[in-house]
Amino acid sequence: MTSVSEVVTSLNGGILMNLRLFFMTLIFALPLGLVIMFGSRTRFLPLRWLTRTFVWIIRGTPLMLQLFVVLYAPGLLFDMPMSNRFLAAEIAFIINYATYFSEIYRGGIDSIPKGQHEAGEVLGMTKPQIFFRVILMQVIKRITPAMGNELITLTKDTALSRVIGITEIIMCAERFTKKGLIWPLFSTGLYFLAMNGILTIILGRLEKKLDYFKV
Amino acid sequence: MAILEVQGLKKSFDHLEVLKGIDFSLEKGEVMSLIGVSGSGKTTLLRCLNFLERPTAGKIVVDGDVIFDADDPLTQKESEIRRKRLHFGMVFQSFNLFPQYTALGNVCLAKELLARENPEFKGHKKQMLDRIREEGVEILTSVGLQDKLDYYPHQLSGGQQQRVAIARALMLEPSILCFDEPTSALDPELTGEVLKVINALAQRDATMVIVTHEMKFAHEVSDKVLFMDQGVIVEQGTPQQVFEHPTQQRTKQFLERYNE
Repeated sequence: MTSVSEVVTSLNGGILMNLRLFFMTLIFALPLGLVIMFGSRTRFLPLRWLTRTFVWIIRGTPLMLQLFVVLYAPGLLFDMPMSNRFLAAEIAFIINYATYFSEIYRGGIDSIPKGQHEAGEVLGMTKPQIFFRVILMQVIKRITPAMGNELITLTKDTALSRVIGITEIIMCAERFTKKGLIWPLFSTGLYFLAMNGILTIILGRLEKKLDYFKV
Repeated sequence: MAILEVQGLKKSFDHLEVLKGIDFSLEKGEVMSLIGVSGSGKTTLLRCLNFLERPTAGKIVVDGDVIFDADDPLTQKESEIRRKRLHFGMVFQSFNLFPQYTALGNVCLAKELLARENPEFKGHKKQMLDRIREEGVEILTSVGLQDKLDYYPHQLSGGQQQRVAIARALMLEPSILCFDEPTSALDPELTGEVLKVINALAQRDATMVIVTHEMKFAHEVSDKVLFMDQGVIVEQGTPQQVFEHPTQQRTKQFLERYNE
């Protein structure tokens, strides 16, 4: 007989994996997305072409497939097998999400009127000053809703990592299903709802904080 | 000596020649209006003065100093341009205020950033920033916005926004202040307050170049009027000469349309 506390302990352990993957992706994909965005906007055409092709490939193939590629490709191609499954999952998630972020950043920057740059220029501001003092804040305000969407998707996508053997929450729950117990699997939904409830509140606060000006 | 001299200025976009050789000069304290139909090159000329466009040919001389020469790459260095463009102030048709800064923040931002480059900034940060804020308040007061210092652009009317934009340009004490159709984006009832501010600047002997469709205003405020058409100056002179006794057929046709 499986006790409730046994289930809860197992699921709690599983959600920690999801959370770890979520935060690692957040921390590394946000800045990496910025780098990719600069690559896809550069005037140096070969680099721009390369970056955009890369973005096309990553956005154009399933994340599930990318997880397998990151796990197996190093061993098959370079004879350097990937021994750390969690690292493989992290790499796949970070790259995948960074490309989406880069496109959101790009859209945000392109949507700021040219007049904002020009006003900064005629006031003798340098390009970095214009970007950090004038443009960035407006971009952050504009992309907050889209980024919020991505982050909510990310919380749920972390469950995909089970395909390469990460013992995240749904994999933990399935172990009980195999023993004939179905409710642990269904109850994993509550964990995701709680996570996204908190995320929605944080994003809402951020939007409210940025409400003091209009773009 | 003329404070601004423009010689043989040309500008092409791909194969379209927008300015076909512009020559004029402006004395200190003079107000010059640029009139003409849309697409005649007035705005492009103003943008060339502010280094927002790079002329294809010609020279720009400020106070005897050649600040741009299409034949001399030394005058086109990116690092130099930043310093040189401060000779000019620019007020845009669409204001282009920074939405995340208050009226006072908009006015002070550029000067604060410039102050940071001053070697004395480290030791006197507080005094320098306070001084800049005081100046900002003074300038906003001079355009009648002393009670809107902490308002954000979206909380201001179009006329108030444009006055903040004028204050922002004045803050850097440009030798020549340029206006690109400063009232064209405004509701008719709001143009008056902006024109009044420009008029007051003219009284105080500010040197200004104004692109405008407000003929009555141009007539009143200007010392000199340039009529442009298809990238050339068709006629220039005092407002009396250009508005009352135009000699060129194209000028007459243009003015007739405004008098209808």
